[in-house]
Amino acid sequence: MKTTVETGRSLETVGLSRSFGGVHAVRDATVTFQQGKINALIGPNGSGKTTFFNCVTGMIKPDSGTVTFKGHDITRRSPHRIARAGIGRSFQLCRVFPRMTVLENLLVAVQPKGLRDLLSGARNPAEIDRARALLVRVGIDHLENSEARNLSYGQQKLLELAGVLMGDPDTIMLDEPAGGVNPALIGRIATLVQELNAEGKTFLVVEHNMELVMSLSDHVIVFDRGRPIAEGPPETVQSDPRVLEAYLGV
Amino acid sequence: MTGTLLFQSLVLGVLLGGLYALLAAGLTLYFGVMRVVMIAHSAFLILAAYLAWFFNQQTGMDPLLSLVVTVPLFFLVGVGMQRLLITRLRPATLTMMSVLLTFAVALFIEGMIGFVWSGTQRRIQLPYSSASVEFFGAHIAVVKLVAFALAALSLALLYLIMKHSRFGQALRATIQHSEAAQLVGIKTDRVAGFGFGLGLATAAIGGTALSLDATIYPSLHWHWIGPLMAIIVVGGLGSIPGAAIAAMVLGIGQSLLQVPLGTTWAQTIFYVALFVTLMLRPQGFFGGRLAQRF
Amino acid sequence: MPNASDTRHPTSTAGSPAVTATEPTGTGATGSGTNRTWRRVARVVALVVCAALVLAFPELAPNAYILSAGIVVASYACTATAWNFMGGFTGYVSLGHAAFFGLGAYGTAILIRDLGLPSFVAWLLAGLLVLLITIPLGIAALRVRGASFVIVSISFVLILLLVFQGWGSFTGGSDGLVVPRPFPDLLRPEHHRVFFYLFAALLAAMLLAWWAIDRSRFGTGLKAVREDEDKAQALGVPTRNYKLVAYVVSATFTALAGGMYALWFGDLDPIFQFSIMLGSYMVLMALFGGVRHLYGPLLGAVVVGVGLEYFKLEFGDTQLHLVATALLLGLVVLFMPDGLIPAAQALVKRFGPQDSSIREVTAAELLERNRAASGTAGTTDGDRDEPADAAGTGRSEGDASTGGDR
Repeated sequence: MKTTVETGRSLETVGLSRSFGGVHAVRDATVTFQQGKINALIGPNGSGKTTFFNCVTGMIKPDSGTVTFKGHDITRRSPHRIARAGIGRSFQLCRVFPRMTVLENLLVAVQPKGLRDLLSGARNPAEIDRARALLVRVGIDHLENSEARNLSYGQQKLLELAGVLMGDPDTIMLDEPAGGVNPALIGRIATLVQELNAEGKTFLVVEHNMELVMSLSDHVIVFDRGRPIAEGPPETVQSDPRVLEAYLGV
Repeated sequence: MTGTLLFQSLVLGVLLGGLYALLAAGLTLYFGVMRVVMIAHSAFLILAAYLAWFFNQQTGMDPLLSLVVTVPLFFLVGVGMQRLLITRLRPATLTMMSVLLTFAVALFIEGMIGFVWSGTQRRIQLPYSSASVEFFGAHIAVVKLVAFALAALSLALLYLIMKHSRFGQALRATIQHSEAAQLVGIKTDRVAGFGFGLGLATAAIGGTALSLDATIYPSLHWHWIGPLMAIIVVGGLGSIPGAAIAAMVLGIGQSLLQVPLGTTWAQTIFYVALFVTLMLRPQGFFGGRLAQRF
Repeated sequence: MPNASDTRHPTSTAGSPAVTATEPTGTGATGSGTNRTWRRVARVVALVVCAALVLAFPELAPNAYILSAGIVVASYACTATAWNFMGGFTGYVSLGHAAFFGLGAYGTAILIRDLGLPSFVAWLLAGLLVLLITIPLGIAALRVRGASFVIVSISFVLILLLVFQGWGSFTGGSDGLVVPRPFPDLLRPEHHRVFFYLFAALLAAMLLAWWAIDRSRFGTGLKAVREDEDKAQALGVPTRNYKLVAYVVSATFTALAGGMYALWFGDLDPIFQFSIMLGSYMVLMALFGGVRHLYGPLLGAVVVGVGLEYFKLEFGDTQLHLVATALLLGLVVLFMPDGLIPAAQALVKRFGPQDSSIREVTAAELLERNRAASGTAGTTDGDRDEPADAAGTGRSEGDASTGGDR
C-alpha cells in the first residue's frame, strides 16, 4: 500500500476532537501536514496544541475523528506503535531518563527485532556507534557516560532530540523546542532541524517563539480554541486578520 | 431470606457504610492533597479505638468523651507527619516511597499497640452495649446507631468545612490543581499539612465509633485498609463524594452478602469491585481523573 | 549466623563497583583500561569467595538452628531477588508479592496431596500455574500506575488470605496444611542441608536471569519504564507488554521460592503464607540493599534477614519485631532510598581516590565547546548578536506563555 505518490499528505487528521470534563480542548480539527516540510503549529495558550499533539501520538485517545499516517489509520494505536510507524516526538517540558547515562538514553530507542534480539545485549557495537554519531551531531558526545540528570536543561533538550533521532523516524514532532533554552542553543536547534529536514525528515513543531517559527517553517497552521483557523506559508499567515484576532483578542 | 432479615441487613449496611464513608473520605483526602496513599490510616483508626478503650478502662467514663483528646491530638500528629516525614521524600518518587513510609508507620503503630497493651482482644463494655431498638421489625444495636450518627455528623462537618470555609476552598483548589493554587497565593504546603491533619482526625472519630461496637486487636487494621483502599479506587482517587458514595454502595453490598455467604466471603465484594473498576474504568466511577496516573 | 553475614558483607560491597560497571561514574578517567581489568578481577574474586562461603555454610553452621536460620535467610534472598524483577527494573512497588509466594506454596502442597505427583514435579507445575494465573492478573493490575498499583497489589494478598481461610475444605483453612516431605528417609540436619543447597541453586538461577535481563534490550526498556513510562512509550517501547513479562517472571520466581519453602517447612497456614509482612520484607530487603543492583536484594536479605532471626531469638514472639522492621523501613525510605550499595559507593568515592566531579568537567568542556561552536556556526547562524536578539523577543513571548497549554 504505497501512498507516497500522494506527496504532501503523509500525516493528517480529520475531525479530531477531545474534551476534558466539558472543556473542548480539541474540537473537529482537520489538519494536513506537508510531507518533507517543516510544519509549525502555533496558537495562543490553551488553544489545544499540546492536546492535539498528544492525540496524534497516541498519548491521549481522541473522543472522535481519525489520524492517518502514510495512508494508515493510526487513531487508536498505542503510542509505541505510532512511534514504530515512524513518528518521533519530544515533550513540552523536556523529558529524558534521568538516571540513565546519556548513551543509555539513546539505546532505549533501538527497536529490537524479534525475541532473540530482545534478549541479546543492549550494548551492540553498531548501535553504540550510531548513538555516538548522533551525540556528536547534537554536540553532547563528551557527556556520553554522565547520568542524564546531571546535564543542564539545554543539554537535556539536545539529548531528547538525539533520542528521538535514534528511533529513525521520518516525521518528528517537537513540542516547544526553544522553550526555556538560551539563544545560542535555539540557533543550534534551528540549524539541526533545517539540516535534518534537508535530509528528508518531516517536522511538526509546536512553538511560541514567533521569530523562530517564521524563519524556520515552510507551512504554518494556527490553532485557536481547539481547531485550526488559518494555514499557509509564514508570510501569509502572519498578515491573516483571523490570526491577529486570535492572538490579540481584537 | 425473609423480608425482615433483608431489611435488617439493609439497615446494618447503611450504618456500616456511614463509617466506611467517613474513613474513606479521610483516606482520599490525603491522596488529594499530597498524592499519598496513607496505608497507616486504618492503623490510626485502631489506635484511636485502643485509646478510647483505655480511656474507658481508666476513667470508667463514656469512650465517646475520649474524642475531646484524640481528635486534636490526631490532627496535630497528621500535620506533623506531613511536615516532618512526607515532605522529606523526593518529589520524583513521592507516591511510591510515601506508600512504604506510611506502611512503616502502620507497622510501628501495630507493634507499639501490641507491646503496650499486648495482643489480647479487647472490648468495651457499656451499659447500653446490648441495648437495641426496633425499627420496622429490624433490631438495631444502639451502639451501631451512635457510631453511625457520629460518622454522619463528622462527614457533614467535613462537607461544610470543604464547601464553605476559606480553608476548605484552599484545600479543594490544592486537590484540583496544586500549581494553580500556588499561583493564586495559596500556601499549598500548609494546606496539605492541615489536610493531613483533617484526614487523621477522621481516623480518630472513626476509631472511637468503632470501639463502641467491635472487638479490637493490634492487627485489626489490615481488615480495614483493604476495603478502604478498594473504596477510594472505586470512587476515584481524590474524590470525597466519590469515596462516600462507593462506601455506601459497598457497605450495603457487604452487609447483604453476609447473610447468604458469611462474613469472610462477603468481604471479597470490595476486591471484586476493585477489579471490575480496574477493567472498566481505571480512573474510578465517580470523578477523579488522577487515578490512572498515580 | 552473624559471623557469616559479617564476612559476606564487606566482600559484596567491595565487589559492587564492578557490578555497576555499566554505570560509570567518572568521565575523563585516564588509564581506565587497567582500572577495568582490576575491577573485573575483583569481581570474579568476590563472586568466588561469596559462592564458596555459601557452599561451605552448611558445614560451618555449628548447629541445626543456625542452619535452619540460614535457610530462612536464603528463602528471603530468593523472594527479595524475585521481587526485584518487577520492583527494581520497572519501579512498580508491589507490596503484595506474598500472594504469589502463598500460591506457589499451596499449589505445590495441593498438587502433591490431590494428584499424588512427585514433590518437585508438583513444585514446577505450581510455578507454571502461577505463571498462567499472573497473566490475567497482571493485565488487570498494570492498567494503573503508582499508588493504585500498590493498592491492587496489597489487595491480592488480602483477598487470597480471605479465600484460603474461608475455603477450609480445600486448603485446610486455619488448621494448616501438611506438605508431604520430599525426602522421607533423610534425617532433620540432612534435610536442612539439602534444602539450603536447593535454595542456593534457585537463587543462583534468579541472579543469572536478572543479570541477563539487566544487560539486554528488554532490560533497557524496563529501566526506561522505571525512569519515565510515557517517554519510553513515545520512543517505541511496548511498555505494557514489557511490564507484564517482568511481572510474570517476578511472580513465577516468587512462587517457586514459595513452593520450595513449602517442601522444606512442611506445614502451611494462610496467615503466614499470605502475609502482608512477608511482602513487606521483600520490599524492605530489596530496598535496603539497592534495587538497581544485582546483589542488592541478596545483600538486603542477608542483613535484614539475619537481623530478623536474631530479633526473634533474642526477644521471642513479642510485637517488637514489627517496631524494628517499621523503624528500619522508615529509615531506609527517608535516608537511604537508593540502598546500601550506592551509599557505600558514595562513601568509597568520597574517601577514595578523588575524581573531579562530573559537573566541573562538563562545565569546562561546555565552555570550550561553546567557544568552538560560536566560531564555526557563525557562518550558518548569521552574526552572534542576531540570534541573541531574536531570542530576546522570542523569550518575552515565551514568558507570557509559561502557564502551559493543554
